[in-house]
Amino acid sequence: MRRRLTLQKMLVIDPEKCTGCRLCETACSIHNEKTCEPERARIHITKWENEGIYIPIVCQQCDIPICETVCPMHAVKRDPETHAVIIDSELCVGCRLCVQFCPFGGVGVDDKTKRIIKCDLCNGEPVCVEFCQPEALQYINATTLNMRKRRAAAEKFSEHLKKMLRANY
Amino acid sequence: MVIKMVWNREILYINLSTGKISSRTVPKIIRTRYLGGRGVNMYMLFNHLTPKTDPLSPDNVLLVGAGLLAGIPCLGSGRCDIGAKSPLTGAVGDSNIGGFFAPELRFAGFDHIVITGKTSKPVYLLIKNRDIQIKDASHIWGQDTFETQKIIRQDEDDENIKSLVIGAAGENLVKFANVRTGMKNSAGRTGMGCVMGSKNLKAIAVRGTTTLEFTHPDELLEYCKQMNTMITSTRWAKAQSRWGTMIIYSNTNTTGLIRTKNFQLNQLEEGQDLEPENIDKYSIGTSGCYGCAVHCRHRYVLKEGPYAPLYGEGPEYTSLGAFGTMVNCNKMETILVANHLVNKYGVDTLETGGLIAWAMELYEKGIINDKATDGLKLEWGNEEAVYEMIRKITYREGFGNILADGFKAAITKIGSESKYYAIQIKGMSNLHSDERPTPSFALGIATSTRGADHLRSRPAIDMYGLPEELLEEVYGGHVASDYNSYDGKDRMVWWQELLYAVTDSIGVCKFQTVFCAVHAPQWKEFSNLINLTTGLNFSKNQLMEIGERIYTIERLFNSREGFSRKDDNLPERYFKEPTTLGLSAARNKKISMEKFNKMLDGYYKLHSWDSNGVPTRESLKKLDLDHEPSNLV
Amino acid sequence: MNKLSPQSEVRCLNCLKRFTVSPKAETAVCPHCNTKYRISWPTPNQAKVRGLA
Repeated sequence: MRRRLTLQKMLVIDPEKCTGCRLCETACSIHNEKTCEPERARIHITKWENEGIYIPIVCQQCDIPICETVCPMHAVKRDPETHAVIIDSELCVGCRLCVQFCPFGGVGVDDKTKRIIKCDLCNGEPVCVEFCQPEALQYINATTLNMRKRRAAAEKFSEHLKKMLRANY
Repeated sequence: MVIKMVWNREILYINLSTGKISSRTVPKIIRTRYLGGRGVNMYMLFNHLTPKTDPLSPDNVLLVGAGLLAGIPCLGSGRCDIGAKSPLTGAVGDSNIGGFFAPELRFAGFDHIVITGKTSKPVYLLIKNRDIQIKDASHIWGQDTFETQKIIRQDEDDENIKSLVIGAAGENLVKFANVRTGMKNSAGRTGMGCVMGSKNLKAIAVRGTTTLEFTHPDELLEYCKQMNTMITSTRWAKAQSRWGTMIIYSNTNTTGLIRTKNFQLNQLEEGQDLEPENIDKYSIGTSGCYGCAVHCRHRYVLKEGPYAPLYGEGPEYTSLGAFGTMVNCNKMETILVANHLVNKYGVDTLETGGLIAWAMELYEKGIINDKATDGLKLEWGNEEAVYEMIRKITYREGFGNILADGFKAAITKIGSESKYYAIQIKGMSNLHSDERPTPSFALGIATSTRGADHLRSRPAIDMYGLPEELLEEVYGGHVASDYNSYDGKDRMVWWQELLYAVTDSIGVCKFQTVFCAVHAPQWKEFSNLINLTTGLNFSKNQLMEIGERIYTIERLFNSREGFSRKDDNLPERYFKEPTTLGLSAARNKKISMEKFNKMLDGYYKLHSWDSNGVPTRESLKKLDLDHEPSNLV
Repeated sequence: MNKLSPQSEVRCLNCLKRFTVSPKAETAVCPHCNTKYRISWPTPNQAKVRGLA
């Protein structure tokens, strides 16, 4: 599987920002199925309602996709433009090994059609991201992600430094 | 044009006495006249009940209705409406609830549930698409509202089950017990949980996986995105996204529009700890209802103190008043604990706080003493007494048993001397807002079909000093920009009543209409959304007419029960005691009886009701209400 | 003069006129009626009244 060497965008999840509103699920199902059936969406919010924990679960578009490794039909491909891992429905026999082995719950079975469904990044314009007001879902490139993570870590570090300095006074 | 979605959703009829279950689709005539949600519920309430039905008898009907647009990805479309004859007021019982229940009900194939009768033992209703069961609830009877939902999910091994439940208050027939879903959402007002409890119905659990089809899915998706942007770009929604409805406190307490010590003051002077910003130190993030881009409630954690560890959601502005200003408690932690308790027990936050504040004033005035309160010191700011009263009301213990029947019964038991201090209309407590400086709000609570209540009209748009040309453009006639003025406020209340009747019927969130923001979605946007979703076409005028029809059938119900102009009144104190605190526009203000009555006359005219507040024959004819009850569903 | 974005305006609760608030300010005085406020920021670009100063 060959990848593009240019800046590649990725769908990034920040569960701490998720408000559990299910706009992503609803928009995803309308976009893909033309009906409102969150059950058939490619993204799902897993909730621990009584504890207030909400975690969006969607395909991570792995660099080395486990679904590809386990697929006996070689039906798992990569979109050359978006880098999305996609399933060739012509080749897929619906054995569901990908569903079973994906560690992220990123692949699912459509209960209506009994076919495999997963996120294809909407050809590079993910609808879920467009509907996610709190920005728990973002479509950004890897360097931006790395930079933000470093910055967040540096901020924590600087707070820590300040505390240490204050303690010395 | 094939209209798909509307026609394949059904009304589910359950008779708990006989166990009979049946269903039918919602006829087109009902859709075009009442849309869904509150509209259809109110039609059925009028049609299914005979006059003077005992609200706690098996003959009362419990109505659950998803809004017509429930499930679309915008404007908080998860709204569900719950109706019955109110055991608290004897008038229209109706309460709207967010969360995730309504869309799930639609996914199961139903828009409405009509529950009559009563079982001999506690049961719950389980709906899984077309599979409907009345199940034994002995193991969840007595459980709080959070655990009940969890146990049902565990029993059915399905995390996606959504339930409407009652807590101990509903089981004990507290007249203002609510119906709840999730950690925070409550159909709080008019005692719908009491009606549910009277039927021995602990919960309605639903799981749906059927197809919900829209007429123009691609266009709808695009338009919903625009709607979300339209609301989230308002200043109100931005602040609300950050701190929830508590932001209203910033304006009302600063100005002096918030009742304090029941109704003695109009501002909590040492009220800094109740400022919404202080929720940050307890918050782990915000939470949204289905399809909501605003996410107005916090998920909060109390890590220290006698009530820790505690996880809760909210609190709303309402709880800030109920367990803050009205009882003169000025600590955020008190609000967080009390909010959690009322949610756990399933009792209306506002009614509970209103009654406790009233009792505290009676205690101060010596109208009740330690003997009456079982030794409890009902003193201002005594938060432990507030928590204890919440519990005593829920379990109907001692003095709690007297308050548990609401204002009307409690006044009779305590004595006529207590009536003057009760800030209630038609037997229902008012919000903690002080409407003496704001005639529009005062008219709104006086005329509300469900008793003192801000959510039937909440005419707040005159609070912002907006140009009168803009107000005229919105309200279709002159409305004074000055919020102290009575001029045009009848029009404002009337217009907002129609808008909210439609809002509650299409099942979107009131906060995302002309609630606190003038440039928020309203008639035109609703019309577009209905068209893209269902294919039905309604002009602005047609939607306003539907709003008028819904409000008028509620009024008809109340007229049939004996309510009229005499009940559209304010507590005596509004006319007698002027406000004493706050900024100049809020200070030294009381309601003029003469101007109030004139405003009431104008309001009745706008509705085409007679001077006694009864709908006229001509107005009924115009609204196709002249042959009610028509018993179509 | 610095051109402040309209989002850093607040409405005075006393005279109901809008006035601009300096970025990140924690207090502000209404230039029209002199009422003093404590200010908070729901977003980095939008101020609101928190209470009287």
